[in-house]
Amino acid sequence: MTTRQEDPIVSLYRDSFPDFARMVRRMGGTLEQAKDSFHDALVIYLEKQRTGKLQVHSSPKAYLLGTAKICWLHSLNKGPMLPLAAGFEAAEPEDVDMDEREKSLLDSLLRSGKKCMELLKAFYYDHCSMEDIAGRFGFNGRRSAAVQKYKCLEKVREEIKTAQIYAQ
Amino acid sequence: MRSELNEACLIDRYLLRQLSNEEARAFESGLLLNEALAEKVEAQRMAHLLIRLYGRRKERRRLDEIYRQLLMETSFAHQLKTIFV
Repeated sequence: MTTRQEDPIVSLYRDSFPDFARMVRRMGGTLEQAKDSFHDALVIYLEKQRTGKLQVHSSPKAYLLGTAKICWLHSLNKGPMLPLAAGFEAAEPEDVDMDEREKSLLDSLLRSGKKCMELLKAFYYDHCSMEDIAGRFGFNGRRSAAVQKYKCLEKVREEIKTAQIYAQ
Repeated sequence: MRSELNEACLIDRYLLRQLSNEEARAFESGLLLNEALAEKVEAQRMAHLLIRLYGRRKERRRLDEIYRQLLMETSFAHQLKTIFV
């Protein structure tokens, strides 16, 4: 009998979070704050991993803890306190939070076409191939998936233009 | 449809910085002369931003779920309890 392999992110989380929580506690932070910064760091880690831009010099845990520390300091609005070790320069959190207008525009796009947003997310955020997208969304091949992706993008662009006109 | 699709792909490549310097310069010159294209570029830039916001929102939900699962493991929960006594 084979056991189902655990998601590597779950193992990394289990192994790293207590160490990070301990550091945040020493600096006077709460568990909730530690979790938020740790999740910011994991999002950055996963995005870099998916785009092949993750450069781990020592171990995934060390990289994650370094990034989480930067996120924590960033959340305190103090900026990096110490010179960053090589390899962490590119791990600065970027626009993790967006403004309310963008959030409300996203919610409106999800209400009017969740499937389109899922498809666009699969392509632009998850970096799935057109073949994968065709399989996942039930299209007849990559060409058909590419046409549907374009139609979704066009729909989203039109909604954005309309929203921006009304916001002016 | 093909030309519109190709145009959207070109805008993607511009926004994702996949064009060569020369191609990007030519594209930007085109933007100055074509207001409709410039509008599409701005809307597509915002679309990229919103898709990333959506991706991150879903990623955070998945991480919250992992956290909840780990809290059900005695050793993990105990470690956190010890840290934040």
